[in-house]
Amino acid sequence: MDGNFRIVIAGGGRVGNRVAHILDDRGHDVTVIEQDPNRAEALSDDYVATVIEGDATRPGVLEQADLERADVVAALTSLTGTNLAVCLLVRELAPDTQTVARTEREPGEEFDRFVDEVIFPERAGARAAVNAIEPDVSALEDVTGTLDILEVHVVEGAPVAGRSLDEVSLPRGSLVVSDAAGDTLAGPETVLRPGESYLVAVEPSVVDEVLNLFRG
Amino acid sequence: MSAGDRAPAAELGLLDATMIGMGAMIGAGIFVLTGLAADIAGPAAILVFMFNGVVTAFTGLSYAELAASIPKSGGGYAFVRETFDDLPSFLMGWMLWFAYMIAGGLYALGFAPNFLELLHVYGLTAAPGEVGAVAVPAVPVSIPASVGLALAAVGLLVTVNAVSTAASGSAETLFTAVKVAILVVFVAFGFLSAGGGGETSFTLQQFDPLFPEGTSAFAILPAMGLTFIAFEGYDLITTVTEEVENPRENIPRAIFYSLGATVVVYALVVVVAIGTLGADGLAAAGEAGIAKAATSFMPSGLPIIRNGGALIVFGAVFSTLTALNAVVIASSRVAFSMGREGQLLPRFGRIHHRYGTPFVAILVSAVVMLGSVVLPTESAGNVSSLFFLLSFVVVNAAVIKLRRERPNMRRPYEMPYYPIPSVLGIALNLLLTGVLVVYLVRTDPLALALSVGWILAGVLAYYALRARGEGSTPERRGASDAEPSGADAPTDTSNAEGGVD
Repeated sequence: MDGNFRIVIAGGGRVGNRVAHILDDRGHDVTVIEQDPNRAEALSDDYVATVIEGDATRPGVLEQADLERADVVAALTSLTGTNLAVCLLVRELAPDTQTVARTEREPGEEFDRFVDEVIFPERAGARAAVNAIEPDVSALEDVTGTLDILEVHVVEGAPVAGRSLDEVSLPRGSLVVSDAAGDTLAGPETVLRPGESYLVAVEPSVVDEVLNLFRG
Repeated sequence: MSAGDRAPAAELGLLDATMIGMGAMIGAGIFVLTGLAADIAGPAAILVFMFNGVVTAFTGLSYAELAASIPKSGGGYAFVRETFDDLPSFLMGWMLWFAYMIAGGLYALGFAPNFLELLHVYGLTAAPGEVGAVAVPAVPVSIPASVGLALAAVGLLVTVNAVSTAASGSAETLFTAVKVAILVVFVAFGFLSAGGGGETSFTLQQFDPLFPEGTSAFAILPAMGLTFIAFEGYDLITTVTEEVENPRENIPRAIFYSLGATVVVYALVVVVAIGTLGADGLAAAGEAGIAKAATSFMPSGLPIIRNGGALIVFGAVFSTLTALNAVVIASSRVAFSMGREGQLLPRFGRIHHRYGTPFVAILVSAVVMLGSVVLPTESAGNVSSLFFLLSFVVVNAAVIKLRRERPNMRRPYEMPYYPIPSVLGIALNLLLTGVLVVYLVRTDPLALALSVGWILAGVLAYYALRARGEGSTPERRGASDAEPSGADAPTDTSNAEGGVD
């Protein structure tokens, strides 16, 4: 399992749909399980994921996503109970696969025994609202339009590992902002050392190419 | 700060996608293999191309259904990888990769005699058969001029594709339009020569008898096997799906349009070639059959190009070169996908830090392609067709397996009358495979040995890679390290511990 993850998303609504798009931009294989026929159709029109139309809490439907080969299953419907049910099913059907559940409320530690990661998207939404209200100070996640600001870790043996930026030719639409230390801007002489992280600004269409270069 | 300046890949429209498919098919197939098909099947070569079009249409339906529902750009390999376990999908990729590489050798071999013919038309060299071997100063042996040319063609296109990503879809559209236009000229002048009374004027008598003395109607089967490669273009369309606009509608359409147009073009060209030169004359001209037919009836004394036939010879040179370019890209894309999936060394799945191309995948493919240039043209055609046939059997099976195992998967394009097309696709492709194998046992043991050897090498490579993979058990990944929390996330240990690949 080198370049791409295989990711199953339960729920192709507001959150699941965007997550599928971003993961596809990064070159991963995505399967979305969505019950609503209109949403399912919109997703297959976007051509970002294989779409399974059905109720993800039904084992017969969930298994069609080939869980054993998936690296991560993310349950991203708007209902905490549904998401928890999906993650528990995954634990049972494919114990090696990581699980991520979205919650409706600020999660405590109560889910930690049952799922690997818990996300609470409303917290990011609240931060965006604060950014709009107090525009002088913006949290990083929300300052860009479609542009991604990524902190990318250079993997040993990746195409750019150990090379200086003037040796490397990045695709148009990408920009290495700062070097490993994070206190000087990157220049042509900056060396991309394996094991270090770099701040990179990337347009969605070339994210997968940049990640291939940095991560092999 | 350091910004990137390398241009990204362009968006492809329906026309571009269709032309990519046609461009891959109309090239070597028709120019190189028509003579060989006529050699085996006589005037029935016309049926050979038409029946192959029908057989391949069933597989085309399977490709359309899979491409519309699985958004991945890896061609047939990507779909099979999605459907089957590790070993079958590895073998599928392994076979498809080989099919493309040998096709590259075949196209290079088709390019050389046509190029010599072009030089000959202008009196620059002797007739192709009479061009002697070229002595290479550095090497104590002399290589035949045609092999040298074929090697040079592969070398040139590999270099171009290894160091630049500029070979874009719109260039392919232009190339294909030129090829088709030249063939239309060929067909038009061929039919116009009818009734001219000349030795090579178009006449239907050339088709009588359709099946020559001593051969039965079954003689067309091995010829179908040999020329099957002339219809592999839709796989190439599905290697670029993610670059196509509105892919779930345009990919199925591009597959059908390119297939339909190609069958029509083939049928007309073969009718004219046989109707003018005769099956025997065509067979005798071998790889340069179409070019030979053209020089016989095209008007001469034209300005600039002087001999009208030269236009067709140019078409053959141009078509084989562009088709060669297409399979250089296609073979490296298959190897790249396999590298990404961890089914070849990870190195195959990486892009070059400066050129942005799948450098290793291209170079390794090039080595096999250069090696295959020493094969006789017919053997190259046989091996390549054999592996496309086998790959297409697996793709058809993938449709059936997915329909059974994932009934709820959305299929924006569903083939009509399922499962009949897939079952027919499997049955007919297997029939041709069987016929081709029997034919190879009798006439071309080299090609058969090579094919068996490649599959055995694949099984060995598969287990060797697995053993290597177990030596450095990949950690399950935690939170993605491409996120702002990247520095402290568990990083990709599989690469770090893998050591030397």
